[in-house]
Amino acid sequence: MPQTPEPSVSGGRTDFPDENDSTCSNLSNRSLRIAEKEKKKSEAEAPLSVALTYFSEVKAGTPVLGNDELEGHLVRLERTALAQGLPPHAVSIMLEFAMSLRMTNAITSRVLRFLVPASVVPQEAVLRGVSWLCTQKLSQSNQLLFLRWVLTMFDMIDCKDNLRAIYGFIFSFVTDESMCPFICHLLYLLTIKEHVKAYRVRKLLDIQGKMGRQPYILQLLALYKVFSPEMVPHSVTSRMRTGFRNHDSTWKAPLAALAKRRVGQETPSMDLVLGLRQKPNRKKRKFHHLEVPDLAPAMGPNSRKGVCLQQLRSFSELLDNLSSIELPAQMGSLLSSAMALHYLDCVQDESAFLRLNFWLGHALQEEFFAGPVEGGQESMAEAAHFLSMLVSTQHFLQEGFSATEGFLCKFLEVWDGFLHRPQILELLSNIALVPSSQIKQVLFDPLMQLYFTSSVFFKCSVIECLSSMLRKWLTWHSVCAKEEGLNISLNNRSTMSLSLSGFLDSVLKLVQFVGRLTSAGLQLERCHTLLLHHALGFYEMVSDMYLKYSLPLFVMLPPGVFYPALLAADPIAVDRLGRIMFKYRQNLTHAKEQRLKQKELYLQISRSVYEEFNTYLVTMVGFLWNSVAFGPRSGLAINQRLLERTKVANYSSSFNLVHHPAFVNYAVDFHQQCWPERTDMDLNSIQAGRYWDWYVEYLYTQGFEGLRDFIKVSINPSATRQSTAHPLSQPSQSG
Amino acid sequence: MDVRRSDVDSATTPTRQRQSWRNSVRTLNTTTRPLFYSGVLTAPRVSTVRRRSNAHQIDNDVDPNQMALLVKEKWELSRVTPMYNFRYTELKAYSKNLSAFLLEEKQQGTAAAVAGYDKVFAVTFSTISGVAKTKDDAETVFIQINSKPVFAAAGDAPKVVWSGWLTCVRAAPQYLQSLPPEFVCLPVFCSSGAQSLTFLVQSWFERTFDCSFGSLDLSPTDLQWLAAIWTSYHNERKIRSLKLKWTLPSEPPLDVTMAVDGQDAWDLWDSTHQQEDANDIYIEHVKRFLNCIETHFYRHFNIHLSAGVLKRVATEGASVHIDGKVKICPEYLPSTMELLTECAILRMPL
Repeated sequence: MPQTPEPSVSGGRTDFPDENDSTCSNLSNRSLRIAEKEKKKSEAEAPLSVALTYFSEVKAGTPVLGNDELEGHLVRLERTALAQGLPPHAVSIMLEFAMSLRMTNAITSRVLRFLVPASVVPQEAVLRGVSWLCTQKLSQSNQLLFLRWVLTMFDMIDCKDNLRAIYGFIFSFVTDESMCPFICHLLYLLTIKEHVKAYRVRKLLDIQGKMGRQPYILQLLALYKVFSPEMVPHSVTSRMRTGFRNHDSTWKAPLAALAKRRVGQETPSMDLVLGLRQKPNRKKRKFHHLEVPDLAPAMGPNSRKGVCLQQLRSFSELLDNLSSIELPAQMGSLLSSAMALHYLDCVQDESAFLRLNFWLGHALQEEFFAGPVEGGQESMAEAAHFLSMLVSTQHFLQEGFSATEGFLCKFLEVWDGFLHRPQILELLSNIALVPSSQIKQVLFDPLMQLYFTSSVFFKCSVIECLSSMLRKWLTWHSVCAKEEGLNISLNNRSTMSLSLSGFLDSVLKLVQFVGRLTSAGLQLERCHTLLLHHALGFYEMVSDMYLKYSLPLFVMLPPGVFYPALLAADPIAVDRLGRIMFKYRQNLTHAKEQRLKQKELYLQISRSVYEEFNTYLVTMVGFLWNSVAFGPRSGLAINQRLLERTKVANYSSSFNLVHHPAFVNYAVDFHQQCWPERTDMDLNSIQAGRYWDWYVEYLYTQGFEGLRDFIKVSINPSATRQSTAHPLSQPSQSG
Repeated sequence: MDVRRSDVDSATTPTRQRQSWRNSVRTLNTTTRPLFYSGVLTAPRVSTVRRRSNAHQIDNDVDPNQMALLVKEKWELSRVTPMYNFRYTELKAYSKNLSAFLLEEKQQGTAAAVAGYDKVFAVTFSTISGVAKTKDDAETVFIQINSKPVFAAAGDAPKVVWSGWLTCVRAAPQYLQSLPPEFVCLPVFCSSGAQSLTFLVQSWFERTFDCSFGSLDLSPTDLQWLAAIWTSYHNERKIRSLKLKWTLPSEPPLDVTMAVDGQDAWDLWDSTHQQEDANDIYIEHVKRFLNCIETHFYRHFNIHLSAGVLKRVATEGASVHIDGKVKICPEYLPSTMELLTECAILRMPL
């Protein structure tokens, strides 16, 4: 046995074979072992390629019985083939192996039975298979099996030109009695006009004479007659109804399973992919309205002028051809890929959008309003997928479709709050400005009904949806209205004007509605923290409407939100409240200045807004700073008995930043840092002198910036702690 | 156009916002129309009164041969959204296209490289004038699919395997006028023939003209209208009996078919309204008519028919089923089609 070469690291070992015999053999063994280990690792990684290599290289005459390697490879290949189908090169290798009969007929039969292709069958493989067929080495059953295999997988053969070229060879098999039906079928599929020759027709008629009027021969003759009617005698008219029989029984189950698996691989997601989204082969539903149609060019005399969207492959190509792209036949197909959506963004044609809206409206109507729901989970999943696609499309285009709005108006009335909740709420937040005359009937009433009869989490979702809606309206106003002014006539056909007051009206109604919802909701849910935070988030946006979105609208937050936030057990809520009050003050002050400077005369802030703000301000400062809590002017009436039950001495004068339930732990912390040696806690000592200021600074360092902003503008630091806050003075009402 | 092109690759934001604002404003409507028909198209309204057309006029309007085609079959109804780029001048091209499409679809899976399996479909598109009544209505389009075997003997006549027609009769003019001119509104689609062919024809229309097909479900009120309208034509076309079928929600469901003698029905109808209103049919009269019939039934059998659903109305010449199947005779054609057009437009998504 030749010695395997040693690794070059051990340079001098070869010189002393006697001494280092064991080490040499150890080294050689080790190298063998290493090689085998690596081979095993690569085998585990790519069992398919290993198996294929085996089958392409195995020599004829290798023993079959007891050949574990062969068995192992066969089993592995069978498993892969039946699970996900074999790739094209695997199909060629296995077909070559089977048809060349390098091993027994039994093995060939087994291979042919599991030879399920995943995608295509290369025609070279079939060609070689047919040529092996010509050698007549295979057993008859295997020959028939091969023919049946070709017929079953015929549609998957990528190109049939070479097969047509060897038509004559295939035709020569027609004389074999057992192969005749299959050959006739194959010839039927391959025939073109050039193949119809007189001698072939004569041969078929001969066979017919010998075997009788068999249906397969008749079919083939009928086909020949279609191509060259003069060659085939008139007696062969096809009055028969039957075609060729299907011979795919062996492979039917694996092929069906493969197709089903391909369908199940689609995962609904809310993000877009560039390039065409693969449409799974859904079984034909009775109502196929949820399928986005394929991108197809429009037919008609003035099409073909431009580039079809299907031909473009990348975004840069889209940009290059932008002016010459023509609209597809079905506008709905533009929702199928991100690139098409980019194009849709640039389309300005009104009828194109009308087409899209018709299709979309029809799809939504059919899905949700027409007839009983068929199928259970599957159709629900499809509907959810469609809605998610709609949400992501609208998000991409940054606007809603009018069909969606119409659908939502009708759907809200009958919605139960559960069906496709996230998608519906997301779509709802996208609807464009609703005129104030209809907003109550269309939006508020159905939402109210759902809101008050559902869980706190649904309430939070609704508040979030409405906040999102308001944000989108405000953004739209601040960006678009500035550019084009506010009175627009669209075109000659319809004039629509949007006035600032109309917009303000709707926004005001929305804000008031959310105010009512949040107050009532907080009462019902006992000031649930999550709901409180959603409400505060909404009012953070409302408080800044003037400065951030240039909308001169001032609406204070309702007491139902203010007091729960002020007395919340959660310090973040108090902090957010501070920020809200700070923003209100900023906005109101700025508006007042603008008005005084005569810059924006249309700003009319009513007296009541100032009064409300001042009340809140005084209350908040009283509660947090001045220790004037629960007094008659605080706007909050609490039963005396309830306050007495708290067992706090002097409850009306001891509530402040130190004793506030939300900040107690900070006070304790601070106390321990100040007086680490003290054993008993006396929080009142924080209130004395400079300790208070240090305590407040300490709170700032803990991240309470909202509180800091509020305190800095509202409270005069130089005066004593009993100083009152600075309420806003109302501007003199002029004119 | 040029502005848009230059704007696209540099700053897309201003253009897009302008366009998106335009889209958003499109939905804003300062009148009190409901937002659903959100300013894009004018909302259709349900009629409470219908005008009876003079039955004799019908004979003059529609060619008798073509009328024969319309009244021969029992039609299944669907509704269609407005079609884009449908041109009456291209009907021949549409015929060729549709027959090629049908062939292609039928052949799928048989892998034969020959043009034609054993049957060939020949499609004809034609217009039937006289059905559309006002200047806004589009002309009715009639489609017929014939098939003949490939090796047919010379004498074989092509067999009609499918026929259908699209129509629009007296649709609300504000709705039609609010559509852009490229759209042709033919909201009612009647088909008769194999279901698979209907499906294929609809797919072809969807692909070529970007429209959508949906089922046209009728309501019991619509059937009541038709019963009243057909009875009111008794003078022009005598009905021998008016058959009405209800389904009562009992366990198991009970079907009640009632046949009212033609003359009695006419007398009853006559009594529900004043003579001067002879040409206008009001919803109250219809309700009264049906109410009388139901009360009469109750008096005899003690069953409240109003608790059930009116499913079918039939006379000798015409019948209508609530699932959307209808058969009409020439006298009833205009008013029936007008009602069906209104139903279809009411169910439009926009």
